Amino acid sequence: MSEGCYHCGDKILGKGIHFDDKDFCCIGCKNVYQLLSNSALGQFYQLEKGAGQKPQSGTLEKYAFLEVEKIRSKFIDFEDVDHARVTLFIPQIHCSSCIYLLENLTRIDKRIRSCQVNFAKREAVINFDTSLKLSELAHLLDQIGYTPNFGDRKSSEQKKDRSAMYKLGFAGFAFGSIMLWSFPEYLGIEKDNPEFRSFTSYLSLIVSLPVFFYSASDYFISAYKALKFKSLNLDVPITIGILALYLQSLYSIFIDAGPGYMDSFAGFIFFLLIGKWFQSKTYRSLSFDRDYKAYFPVAVTRIINEIEEIVTIEDIDVDDILLMRNDEVIPCDCILESEHARIDYSFVTGESEHISKKKGDFIYAGGKLIGQRSALKVVKESDRSHLTSLWNEVRSEKENSGRSIYQDKMSEYFLAALLIIAATASIVWFFIDSSRVMEIAVAVLIVACPCALALSAPFTYGNTMRLLGRKGLYLKNTSVIERINTITDIVFDKTGTLTSSSQYHVDYVGDELSDQEKIAVCSLANSSTHPLSQSIVNQFIEQQIIPSSTIENFEELTGKGLQGKINGVRLQLGSSQFVGAKKTGNDESSSHVRIGEKSGTFRFSSELRDGIERLPKTLERYTLHIISGDGEQDLDLLKSIFPEGTQIHFRQTPEDKFNYIKALQTANKKVLMIGDGLNDTGALGIADVGIAVSEEAFRFTPSSDAIIDAESLIHLYPLLQSSAFSKTILRICLAFSLSYNITGLSFALTGMLTPLVAAVIMPVSSITVVCISTFGVLLHGRFSRVKKI
Amino acid sequence: MGMIYIMLTVSLLIALFFLVSFFWATKTGQFDDDYAPSVRILFDDETNNNSKTQTDGSTEI
Repeated sequence: MSEGCYHCGDKILGKGIHFDDKDFCCIGCKNVYQLLSNSALGQFYQLEKGAGQKPQSGTLEKYAFLEVEKIRSKFIDFEDVDHARVTLFIPQIHCSSCIYLLENLTRIDKRIRSCQVNFAKREAVINFDTSLKLSELAHLLDQIGYTPNFGDRKSSEQKKDRSAMYKLGFAGFAFGSIMLWSFPEYLGIEKDNPEFRSFTSYLSLIVSLPVFFYSASDYFISAYKALKFKSLNLDVPITIGILALYLQSLYSIFIDAGPGYMDSFAGFIFFLLIGKWFQSKTYRSLSFDRDYKAYFPVAVTRIINEIEEIVTIEDIDVDDILLMRNDEVIPCDCILESEHARIDYSFVTGESEHISKKKGDFIYAGGKLIGQRSALKVVKESDRSHLTSLWNEVRSEKENSGRSIYQDKMSEYFLAALLIIAATASIVWFFIDSSRVMEIAVAVLIVACPCALALSAPFTYGNTMRLLGRKGLYLKNTSVIERINTITDIVFDKTGTLTSSSQYHVDYVGDELSDQEKIAVCSLANSSTHPLSQSIVNQFIEQQIIPSSTIENFEELTGKGLQGKINGVRLQLGSSQFVGAKKTGNDESSSHVRIGEKSGTFRFSSELRDGIERLPKTLERYTLHIISGDGEQDLDLLKSIFPEGTQIHFRQTPEDKFNYIKALQTANKKVLMIGDGLNDTGALGIADVGIAVSEEAFRFTPSSDAIIDAESLIHLYPLLQSSAFSKTILRICLAFSLSYNITGLSFALTGMLTPLVAAVIMPVSSITVVCISTFGVLLHGRFSRVKKI
Repeated sequence: MGMIYIMLTVSLLIALFFLVSFFWATKTGQFDDDYAPSVRILFDDETNNNSKTQTDGSTEI
């Protein structure tokens, strides 16, 4: 019993469902099990225990929009007479069992020809017969718990840019080959054989051409751009080094003096590109750049001349009448046409109470419709709505190239020092031996090339990013680390961030219930997956009350409540209107119950996340702020755990949050914002670092710089410290790389820089720096006390 | 002495072969996902195996 659901591994509340000698937490899980075992896919459960996904109660109707040709063709990659291929983004893919199940879909439905999972991108490429409709395919996946995500089209549209790999390939090829041919040169074996020497030289020249013109091109372009805008970045000294190396080698080849530094040149580019590649390996499956469209339905039903038709969001015009279903997010600013509707604005404002609207009321985009189907008249198109305009404002303001600010600053000093040394050396050598001035100046430029310096940041930041990822903080890219290290203020959102969005603390007031009645109420609540019902069940289970009664005539009325009969007694649980009780407080923070003659009320208050009370103490170094869309009801609770001086603001609209952060920034603060909802998007976007909290890392989160696992939130301080540690490592790397530069310089200045010396110093310095950064971060990860729970 | 020219040419050809293989592997997406293939190989082929698992994501018509 205690093992949890055989399918999804969740704790079984109450009796659960016993089937085929196995226990399941809900009907949905049992159905999936049945489907899988009938299709001889039992191996699914052997691969990983309790790996299944809880299916959602989606109807085929939900996917009807996929049959509209215009929408369908957007998703289908390829189609001929009887067969089509589609690439679906399925964020639930998380383990080997998922791969097994999805790749064997054909056993469930023969019309699916094959399925190939790309785990890194969480995509499935499915080939199927056209006799199977796309909507049926989506529904099948939905039924087994792998709901395809059609809203997030961006991720599947992402162009596969493989040029970086090709560049790396060329550089590696040239590096290896040229070094091989240069061996006789290093050892001085074939010095007296000019024919052989020029053969290898020209061979090296040919091989190096694609490296110079293709592999290294990014550095030239970047340096050119920087100079054009009269600024400096690290690519400028790198480009100078590359040019010095290459031109000197060309000269050497043309005067028949051997292949010059061609090997160092190719190796240099090779190492630089490895660094770049390492840095670019980010969390591709997580989406950091969702725009508002990802939250809206892909298509909605529009009524024209009493005929329903499905259209994409982009095609909606002003004055169209839309028909929205339960749980759909309203994509445009609208006016309500139906008599009544209930709107959940928690997405937009963070307020957890549902709002009732009457006919003719104005409804902002972003609200979620609760309950019956309702008709709405469009006032503004989707991309001009109130919500999206706020969003677009932020988007344009925050554009980050992902460059390392720290390194760019370093490069200024570096370049200055380089030019001074080169000039001094030339002057000194002019008096010693004027014929060698050119050679010495070039040698200085070559050896001072900041290869190791250029590698230290990608590797240190790349490793730190992976370390943080293992602990539950996923960064968008490595430049976020630098920004985290400058933070002075931390701003928390309340709902969903400090408090858990799915757990509530439950209090009961009203007529005393007998144990028998408690069991009945608990059983009724257990029949619903509504979060409030589940909170009631959890509360009862803590009191050792097990939901074990059988319910007759069970009914769940969306937006109203539950009802049924137990042992002949009629039970109702839900809103005051539904139950017929006097309204006390608001409906969202309470639930009324009527059992026979007795009645009572369950009151819900938000519950802080486990362990969150320890968090503020650890963050003493920073100024803390709390901004919440909710009312003041939790003020005392927050005051009790946050230190004095914490600024707490309630009833903040998304604009207020946005402006609050902006005001802090004008006061020269660096702000870290932590939030979870669409209502925080503006604030997350403008903050120096915006971190989105997510219960599951692959769930929907607003666009942000980083995503943190809800469980890891209490470890925020150690995580920030780990990030800060990268600065220390970077400094050590810097010291090493500079010491190599100085060693190299001493060879260059004394006129002893041979290709062999360059060929040794360059890789050795690069490898040392890579090792220091990798092991530094690794050791820090091992010894720091943060543990992922 | 002539031998070394032949050997150098051969070494270049071998390196080119690997370069081309690398490009081919990149192009067919073999570096795109390094987890799924490692798991896929461990699945048991059950008796009624009528699924044609394609290895490179190309289309069969």
